[in-house]
Amino acid sequence: MLMMSRRQGETILIGDEIEIVIAHIGRSRVKVGIRAPRQTPVIAQEVKLVSEENRAAAQAPPPAVLRALVAQLQPAAHTLRPPSDEGSVRQDAGTKT
Amino acid sequence: MPELQTTNFGTVAFTPESVFEFPRGLPGFEERRRFVPVQNPASAPILFLQSLEEPSLCFVTLPVLVVDPVYRLRILEPDLEILQWKAGCQPRIGEDVLCLAVLSFQPSGPTANLLAPVVVNLRNHQAVQAVAPESDYSHQHALFPREAAVCS
Repeated sequence: MLMMSRRQGETILIGDEIEIVIAHIGRSRVKVGIRAPRQTPVIAQEVKLVSEENRAAAQAPPPAVLRALVAQLQPAAHTLRPPSDEGSVRQDAGTKT
Repeated sequence: MPELQTTNFGTVAFTPESVFEFPRGLPGFEERRRFVPVQNPASAPILFLQSLEEPSLCFVTLPVLVVDPVYRLRILEPDLEILQWKAGCQPRIGEDVLCLAVLSFQPSGPTANLLAPVVVNLRNHQAVQAVAPESDYSHQHALFPREAAVCS
């Protein structure tokens, strides 16, 4: 990996079309400005991870897998703190057909 | 009461006030903005997030405190704005917001996404999946670490 040292306000160019500005350097984080063509997606790496994870999570698993999970959760839910304080939102029971 | 056709639950009746509104969608599903929480007594404490716009899209979630009783919620400012929550002050789980971990089912067992919990403002039902880049939480937190797993 190419490493470069830059001061606040300095810029890095990638190719002809991508410009990265070190906008602000704080104690534990830097603010970076990015200028790139509209068709170049720019996202934080975590967002990509979450995006992939969401795609993997997007379908409910087979009922047997779910039942096994619920069975495993039961003892845990009793020893851990019950989610009673999460229950204040009104939820509508699903009807399984 | 309006009804919704779903792949997993058949027909689900819901009240319009129960709908969670995600103004930016969720990462990977930016166009999916409205979800209905579905809880089935047989599968408590699991909460399903069923898309209003896509019958087959359903996330399986658990209250984050069931996964980790000492979970520390840290929401970045842009996400607080989506929740219409005042900047500079973090909402409290249970009192101010519902905080859910999205589950995914890996061959090695179920995992919970603690890096990016779904957070719902209980007062207005505005919701966001709040990525917490500065936390040490994993996007694939094993629900049942290997030693504790009950093998069938």
